[in-house]
Amino acid sequence: MTTEALSPTRERSPLNNRLRAMLTQENIITLVVAIIVAGAVVVPLAVLFVSSFKVLDPLGWDTTWGFGNYVEMFTDRIIPKAFLNTLIISSGSTILATFLGVSLAWINARTNCPGRDYLEPYNLIPFFLSPFIGAIAWHNLGEPQTGLLNNWVRDIFGVDWALINIDNIYGVIWVTGIFFAPLVYLFVVGSLRRMDPSLEDSARTTGAGLIRTTMTITLPLVMPGILSGAIIVFVTSAGEFGVPFKLSAPYGWETLTTQIFSKAVGDDANHFLGAAMSMALGIITVLLIWIQQRYIAPRSFTTVTGKGFRPNVLDLGPWRWVAFGYNLMFIAVAVVLPIVCLIIVSLHPVWTGKIVWADITTINYVKTLFWWRPDAIAAATNGIVNSLILAFGGASIAMVMALVISYMIHRTKGFGVRMLDFLSVVPIGFPGIVLAMGVLVTYIQTPIYATLWILMLAYITRFFPYGQRNISSIMLAISEELDQSSRMAGASWFTTLWRITIPLLKPGLFAGWILLFIIFLRELSISIILFTTGTETLSVGVYYLTNFENEPLTAALSMAQTVLLLIAIYAFRRFAGREALTA
Amino acid sequence: MSMNADTMDPKVSINHLYKSYGEETAVKDFNLDIAPGEFVTLLGPSGCGKTTTLRCVAGLERPEAGEIRIGTETVVAPEKDIYLFPEHRNIGMVFQSYAVWPHMTVFDNVAYGLRVRRASGAEIKRRTMNALELVGLDQQADRFATKLSGGQRQRVALARAIVYEPEVILFDEPLSNLDAKLREQMRDEIVRLQKEVGITSIFVTHDQSEALVMSDRVVVMDKAVIQQIGDPQDIYANPVNSFVANFIGVTSLLEGKLLSRDGEVCDVEVPGANGHDGLRIQAIGGEGAQAGDKLFLSLRPEDITLHLDKPEGTGHGNVVQGNVIDTIYLGSFLEGRVRVGEHEIGIQIDHYENLTPGQPVYLSFQPEHGLCLTD
Amino acid sequence: MSNETTGAYLQVDNLVKYFGNDKAVDGISFGIPEGAFLTLLGPSGCGKTTTLMSIAGLHTIDGGRIKVGDTVFTSPKEGLFLPPEKRDIGMVFQSYAIWPHMTVAENVAYPLEIRKIEQPEIDDRVADVLKLVGLTAEADKLATNLSGGQQQRASLARAIVSKPRLLLFDEPLSNLDLKLREQMRVELKRIQNEVGITSIYVTHDQSEALVMSDEIIVMSKGKIEQRGGPVEIYSRPVNEYVSNFIGVANLLKGKVLEVNEPGQGLFELAQDGKQVQMPCQLSPGIAAGEDAVLSVRPENVHAVREKDGDTTLEGEVTFAIFLGSHVDCRVQWGDFEWKVIAHPRTRLKAGEKVYLKFDPEHTLAVQP
Repeated sequence: MTTEALSPTRERSPLNNRLRAMLTQENIITLVVAIIVAGAVVVPLAVLFVSSFKVLDPLGWDTTWGFGNYVEMFTDRIIPKAFLNTLIISSGSTILATFLGVSLAWINARTNCPGRDYLEPYNLIPFFLSPFIGAIAWHNLGEPQTGLLNNWVRDIFGVDWALINIDNIYGVIWVTGIFFAPLVYLFVVGSLRRMDPSLEDSARTTGAGLIRTTMTITLPLVMPGILSGAIIVFVTSAGEFGVPFKLSAPYGWETLTTQIFSKAVGDDANHFLGAAMSMALGIITVLLIWIQQRYIAPRSFTTVTGKGFRPNVLDLGPWRWVAFGYNLMFIAVAVVLPIVCLIIVSLHPVWTGKIVWADITTINYVKTLFWWRPDAIAAATNGIVNSLILAFGGASIAMVMALVISYMIHRTKGFGVRMLDFLSVVPIGFPGIVLAMGVLVTYIQTPIYATLWILMLAYITRFFPYGQRNISSIMLAISEELDQSSRMAGASWFTTLWRITIPLLKPGLFAGWILLFIIFLRELSISIILFTTGTETLSVGVYYLTNFENEPLTAALSMAQTVLLLIAIYAFRRFAGREALTA
Repeated sequence: MSMNADTMDPKVSINHLYKSYGEETAVKDFNLDIAPGEFVTLLGPSGCGKTTTLRCVAGLERPEAGEIRIGTETVVAPEKDIYLFPEHRNIGMVFQSYAVWPHMTVFDNVAYGLRVRRASGAEIKRRTMNALELVGLDQQADRFATKLSGGQRQRVALARAIVYEPEVILFDEPLSNLDAKLREQMRDEIVRLQKEVGITSIFVTHDQSEALVMSDRVVVMDKAVIQQIGDPQDIYANPVNSFVANFIGVTSLLEGKLLSRDGEVCDVEVPGANGHDGLRIQAIGGEGAQAGDKLFLSLRPEDITLHLDKPEGTGHGNVVQGNVIDTIYLGSFLEGRVRVGEHEIGIQIDHYENLTPGQPVYLSFQPEHGLCLTD
Repeated sequence: MSNETTGAYLQVDNLVKYFGNDKAVDGISFGIPEGAFLTLLGPSGCGKTTTLMSIAGLHTIDGGRIKVGDTVFTSPKEGLFLPPEKRDIGMVFQSYAIWPHMTVAENVAYPLEIRKIEQPEIDDRVADVLKLVGLTAEADKLATNLSGGQQQRASLARAIVSKPRLLLFDEPLSNLDLKLREQMRVELKRIQNEVGITSIYVTHDQSEALVMSDEIIVMSKGKIEQRGGPVEIYSRPVNEYVSNFIGVANLLKGKVLEVNEPGQGLFELAQDGKQVQMPCQLSPGIAAGEDAVLSVRPENVHAVREKDGDTTLEGEVTFAIFLGSHVDCRVQWGDFEWKVIAHPRTRLKAGEKVYLKFDPEHTLAVQP
């Protein structure tokens, strides 16, 4: 080290020095980011709020200010019913997902169920797949006339009635329930596994039996995790668009999301009424997420003792085979059956509900994937390219943003930090479709509308918190002294960031990147509001095919998306862990 | 206060206990009778089998063979197909990690055992408050356990374990998560409480000073086997082998050979090497050793006197010359190491002495302060 | 309290640091000669770590001036603040702070790479310093595969490899278990001796401070209570606080009756209407007729069964705990319980009547 570097800047006046001290690399970068994030998150929501008070006159030419939209929501013929349906669907799927998630987590973490080390990855697969495609697959399995399951039952037992009818709100509950069960699973399995076994042992030595110990000690201890998972499932179900759009809306059960969609792009488009409905949905979900973050997550008990414990394992005796069967059954209905069904359907020119070996064809894949062919369907082939661009680009930009934000929150001080911390929770509270409505009304008159940029902006704004949480959890775990010792070794702030902080965060960066890649690849509820011809995404392509083409073509593109997702899931398993998800 | 097991029925009786994990034997042929009201400590390094033994008594582990009786009841005997679940053994247990239930108040934690036993509401209230008073937490009854400090949590755990007056209370290294000052405080507290309540106790620890301070009797274990059972002073003064001598307190062990024996006193030769002269030392112990047998000479630092000049008229021949290796000033005393030939001998001086490394000094000790061990 | 400032290598003047409205460091000053090993000792919250962090530059200060050699590190009045990376300091942290994504050798080489030193020289110096701390065999291991003690050695190697002008230790041993801690403190001291870098060591563990330091500064509530060598601090504490914090002491309120020679006097204790006088050493600034506190270490109180001319007090043993090398006793005298350390072979038992003897040389009157 040269002596020159050691001498402080004596010649400048003290005030000048103080100003210079404030304008460090660190402060400039963090300030810029705070402004960008505030703009991305707050502006659309503010515009959405303001727009919800603009009332379109009956001719659709002019607007006036007022509460008309909110009045209409209660007097409309359909919207109040859609509200009720949303409530029923969310409650139902929350109950189903919680039951499945808790029971599977308990079997995997606390019993000697055979093969439990191998089952877990498969239990988590539905978390990554698209529930919209799950709905399409289950439609083909459980439609009364053409459903594969119904036809199998008719063939085998010679009956003439349908075993199930999936096309109603119970079908929606079924599909969202099984697809969101892994969310609850993830919230519960960690605390079940990491729980200090002496918490239960001490109840046993105090005189409580196994069942009493489970009811008074084990369950209450994981209750915050269960409640957190349940709230997240409720909110996610309320914001889910694809499943009700496929399974219930066409049969007379509208939901809030399908109604917002029809106000955004349908024939009777009314952005301002859509904005009001989005506000209503958003306020409910934000409230629930706020309760979860504020009152439930901090009560999580096991993080207090969170050391690596070997948990107590219960010997189920012969019942372990029942548990094993139950778990296999879940994987069958959530993963195997839907995928098998999609493959079968996609190989037929038309789908009549029965396998016709003579007709097997690959024409559906040709039409949806081979973009250079004249008979290719543009909406589908565009989708693959656009989604890959959005997933690669969006995940990369979002992770850079997430990195800087995490760094600011955990390693710097100042009033901007608290605002950032808050801003990076807000998007989680708003369903994609609500945020998309905000982005739509904000940017519809700007040049970025009708480009991929508007989609990317909305994707990143809605989902960067997931990446940010992945990084933050690692940043909290690594001591600040690791950074400080680099400064002490003579490295500047930027060198330290580049050579110490980022390499340490690499696992989190990577896990976050793949997670966002997966989310962006299957994204529907934002895309469906913001796409235009030419900017269709994969899920929009599937929507187009199921709406305007036939089931086999839909199944083919669905399979293409599913294969891409499965590859990404494999990469996620390889490079990240379960921990990355619960962050 | 070690009571004689012959005159009184033991409260806990462990006979021929065996337990292994796969290939590894955790406890081998463990036998111990514990008198009512006695405080027994299982002491040893980690992996010696002390915790496994305790968990077998609790019912949290199932032994492969042997028999454990608590009071008059056999709680486990694999050969007779007897195994009682922990909740049927009427025991109290205090864990290293406190295991205080975070979703309950202090009162609810302590009352749990009484509620399980279906005590009446009034009795639950009375006995819980009594127990809390005993550990000095009656003011904290309504607080949540998560709001307590480590020491307070361990008091809750203690109150929870004694409130229903179990036959025996089991301690699984309860002090090792506390910091040094608090540990000493809690240590004295547990002893006081145990004497007050008079409850039979089994205490597991790897900390020899805890064992010496707290116990009526100490069971020293190593490699799954009991090495020695005795009261603290006895174990410290008369260790049966070099493991016990080394594990309890500090000692310097010199390997030597028995030359001859004159009544109590052994004449020992500690051979020199690398051109150093051997040492001739008089010491006691060494029962059963024949002339020419290998021996370990155990010397406690506090029994050694340091001289700057060659001492005269000590009345015995145990004077050796050496050079200071280093010293550590600890305030109340000075700890040092002295090289004697190829051996290193630890010393402890109760005043400050300015010793420089390499400085020649003389060490002496009474023959009855040197102990010969055959193993 | 000597705050000798002339000729000091590191000079801290009137250091003030607030956290919010709390004054963490309240205008302390001290200097250290080059090559010395100074320990800042005190309970948590006494300001010792804040002082260290101020020297390191890991936070700014609110007042005062820190200077090493001719370089001013920080001086808010003059608007000077040298960022930490330009201070040329080596630092060892409590959490070791070994970078887990690098090998041991890469960790140690880092400060040299930052200083743009040629690769062959880096290799030589890393090898030398790893040898010094005894980690040559572990050079290519990932830092995460090391034990706690080894990580701390690696951390020390990284701190000294660039031959910094100052070495700072922030409670480096408190994450290690007792046995390892005792080993490492001797080892740390040996290495510091060998490299001869001026060192400041922060700890709350008084035995660590006694063992390792050339000099100790005892702090409380952001201020310096006493500064001196280990023997001086232990055997001549200036006040009740230091006496209580370093080691164990019997502390009784009383009065200094007279001063005979400089530094020596007669102390009067009063208990239950009984008055006892004993000769004592006086700490600086205590005059005849003043209230003071008597401070006697347990090992300097001798309990005997027979009364003789030297015994001063009579009491009853309330308990005697056998601790192997010694017996920890309590002797009740009126309301006061004397802590006494006895040799195990005295076999004192609870309930016995004993007489206490005091050595005037080790009986101190200190300021309350």
